[in-house]
Amino acid sequence: MIDKAIPVPIGRVVATELKPATPHQFHFWTPTDTTIGIGAIVKVGGSGTGEEGRVVYGVVTEGFAYSDLATPLHDVVGAEGDPTRAVEAPTARQQIRYWTAAVLRQTPEEPLQPVPLGQVYVADDADVAQALRMDTYLYSATPTAIPVGLYTSAGRDAPVYLDADFLLGPEAAHLNISGMSGLATKTSAVEFLLASIFAHFPAHKGRVAAVCFNVKGPDLCFLDQPADLSDEDRRRYERLGVPSTPFERVQLYAPLKADGVNLNTLRTHPDLVDDVEPLTWGLQEVVDYAEVLLNRDDIDAKADAFIDFLRDRVLGRTFDDGFGTTHRVQTFADLDRLFRSIFDGLEVISGGRSDTWRTHHIATMRKVRNRLLNISTRCKGLVTDDGPSSDLPWQDFKDRTVYVIDIANVDPLGQDLVFARVVSKLREQLERRELGVDAVVVFVDELNKYAPGDGPDTYVKKMLLDISERGRYLGLVLFGAEQFRSQVHRRVVGNAGTQVFGRMDMDELATPGYQVLTPATKNKLATLPIGELMVRHPHFTQPIFIRFPKPPVLRGRDGVERFPPAADVPFEDAVVRQLVRLDRRVRPNQVKDLIADREPDDVRRALAAVRRIRPDDVLAYFRKVLGARVTPEGALPREHHTVPPLNPISDEPY
Amino acid sequence: MTWWQALVAAGAVPANAGRSDEAEPGERADLVEDSELQVHPIPEPQIPNPVSFLNGMQRWSVVAYDGVAQIVSAYVAAAVCRRDKRGVLHATFERSRAFAIAPLDRLSPTLRPVLEQAVPDIEPVDGELVGQPARYLEQVERTVRRARAHLERELAEAATAALGADEWLVLDGLLSRSPAVARHPRALGVIKSHGAQFLDGRGLERALTLPAGHRTSVFAVRGGHTRTEVYSWYLRLWPWEGNNLQYGLLRVEARADRETIARAPALSSWLFAERAPLATPATRWDRLLYPLHHVEEYLKARAPRSPAARSRLPVA
Repeated sequence: MIDKAIPVPIGRVVATELKPATPHQFHFWTPTDTTIGIGAIVKVGGSGTGEEGRVVYGVVTEGFAYSDLATPLHDVVGAEGDPTRAVEAPTARQQIRYWTAAVLRQTPEEPLQPVPLGQVYVADDADVAQALRMDTYLYSATPTAIPVGLYTSAGRDAPVYLDADFLLGPEAAHLNISGMSGLATKTSAVEFLLASIFAHFPAHKGRVAAVCFNVKGPDLCFLDQPADLSDEDRRRYERLGVPSTPFERVQLYAPLKADGVNLNTLRTHPDLVDDVEPLTWGLQEVVDYAEVLLNRDDIDAKADAFIDFLRDRVLGRTFDDGFGTTHRVQTFADLDRLFRSIFDGLEVISGGRSDTWRTHHIATMRKVRNRLLNISTRCKGLVTDDGPSSDLPWQDFKDRTVYVIDIANVDPLGQDLVFARVVSKLREQLERRELGVDAVVVFVDELNKYAPGDGPDTYVKKMLLDISERGRYLGLVLFGAEQFRSQVHRRVVGNAGTQVFGRMDMDELATPGYQVLTPATKNKLATLPIGELMVRHPHFTQPIFIRFPKPPVLRGRDGVERFPPAADVPFEDAVVRQLVRLDRRVRPNQVKDLIADREPDDVRRALAAVRRIRPDDVLAYFRKVLGARVTPEGALPREHHTVPPLNPISDEPY
Repeated sequence: MTWWQALVAAGAVPANAGRSDEAEPGERADLVEDSELQVHPIPEPQIPNPVSFLNGMQRWSVVAYDGVAQIVSAYVAAAVCRRDKRGVLHATFERSRAFAIAPLDRLSPTLRPVLEQAVPDIEPVDGELVGQPARYLEQVERTVRRARAHLERELAEAATAALGADEWLVLDGLLSRSPAVARHPRALGVIKSHGAQFLDGRGLERALTLPAGHRTSVFAVRGGHTRTEVYSWYLRLWPWEGNNLQYGLLRVEARADRETIARAPALSSWLFAERAPLATPATRWDRLLYPLHHVEEYLKARAPRSPAARSRLPVA
């Protein structure tokens, strides 16, 4: 009987003058039948080398096989030019499996010396923890370990943990994940990791939530629905200590469609649509982020000054336009009336002799007007002309809750606006410690689009840079995903403490950013199966390959098959549905009678008011606000929080 | 066209040969198959399994002088590797001997006790040749070769005694060095050097111009210092044309028994199949079977590093 407690060496370190062992790299051979491969973690013991106390951990980065064949011609000669005869040779040529490994850790760490020429063992669970320096945060008094997957090379099944202090701050933060699209790796990995964070985020670090932008189809629309997991996946969840259940608390927000009542999302199945909150913003919310709406050519001091003027002097205030009309601008409709009044005043009263108003040139005003009013047209449903807003609970974020904002079907400009405003508000609230949680993970897919390495310096890009560089102090953590890491702004990528790689395109791997990887590692990356990732983390001195289970939530594609989106319902039915959702006692016929022959805009305003107030008696309140012109929320002077300016993009790395 | 190209064009066989094997004494052989030496094609191979292969190695160098007396450090080793069903060789027997060679009677009174105390295994040699270094070293070479042969003989006897029911043993060199081994029904000796000639006249010409994939008739020889009779035949592994007469030529030795004559075709086809894989980069790969080459490489890898190299390198 072999005592399995005694480790059996699987190889031996060899060093030659041409290929010596160094403190950071060594070479070893194994029998041809071996379980190890690229990415395997091995341990070198000093036995027999006079360095019995020294232990070195390494990860296999390259493999070679060769025989004693001096030249390929000899094989041809031996087989007499017939490949079928080559296999008939009675003796197998002596061959070697020769591996190169990068050092992960040496103990003792000082003095740092070349790897001893000792025996090589497959690393067990404890060795993996040592090799990846996970012992410091896995076994400490206040552990901060977050499972990220299983190390499965060499027949092992060892959990690999990230350090929450380096994943969610404050030591380092952010995660960037790259990989080919269409393999469900990036989204799946983030979904699993969020589940893991929610299960393992240490209590002493406070409360955590996640905000996910759904920018593609139904990707993130079913995070509260269970996935069909295999027994193997369930075993992996158990091994990692992560529940194999969907997220318990998910809040999904989606803008309305242009009709103002149907939701603009693929989660419209009757069984699920009630859980979707409408996301609508008014003028105030848009003007605060007017910069987002301006393209590069628009950005000038004059436009900025005029927007500041509107923000500080006009919005929400009683304002005399100088041509005899007093305005109170609360909505886009009010704003349009103000602009018309000003332009008419300049044209009629001044007789066309003046082209400035309150020091602002008419061309600047026209430009700003066009940009602001254009958004209410392009993003109708998200931006309401004259209705109140329906927003995220900025002061009441719940612990371990995922907030999904579905902007997949929103105009790109509107996506930018949503993105900029949500992230800025998160930043603001975290700075004030008024968000309700201590840390927020923001998952942004398609960084190639939002933070490209080249192209114009958009507001969104500046904001992503700001999060990347300063977010970790606030607890604002960016989980970014993209297909081509090389084409994302280097400071967004570079500031991500944890880097994750799925299957990569060979062209992408040929870019300079991957030069540190060996050809074998690149080849493995190019052929990674679904569910396998390469991870770089501040505690890991070398990239590590891991396997993660299928996420515990229904994939978007499966979700729309199981819960097919419902067709848009008629206006009346949509109003009924929204009111019934707020109050089960509401009877459809009563609502339909109420809104019959009423202007749709009036109905929409009343509906928005009900959504905002959420009264005990929904129908009564709806009837009340529908009876007269609905007073927009902003009738009372609203507190205006100025968004702190973002640093301009510069070439300074930090 | 050169003059030799003209010869070839006129019917001569092209050659590319230099020095040949050194001449050794050989006795006239008695044919035991056919009335005169014939050339036989070999049949399709049938390779027995398992098979063990025995080879040895030697290494020596002068490590010290006592006056002009050269004191030698020598190392000989032999091993048997068994081939498994996958064709992979595994060492099953191994013996080695590290010893000193010195003319003890010519050593100074100071150094002799030091040597005798430090080295438990000393092979004394005659001190008469000490004054003639070249001849002295020839004597050393013979001594080492004899020690190696002795080791190989011991190992061959041990290996044949342990052979399985269907297992064969192939030795590099003479089978007749040991009577016990020479009489074993499943032991073969494979000789690469052809300094000793057992044939003459037409028979010798046929043997030396044997085409590839052919063997000669079996003949009986008395070989080795034991004068044990064995049966033998020549086998050509590779075409000699364009090289030399001994290119790819093996002489096989097997038990002196009628059964050997019956087995000669099958044994020849088996050994012919052993020419692949090539035993490169060995210089005599045309005659060296790869498994025997492997055993030699195995022994070299396990041999202590050469004293000359050791003297300049720190010991790990």
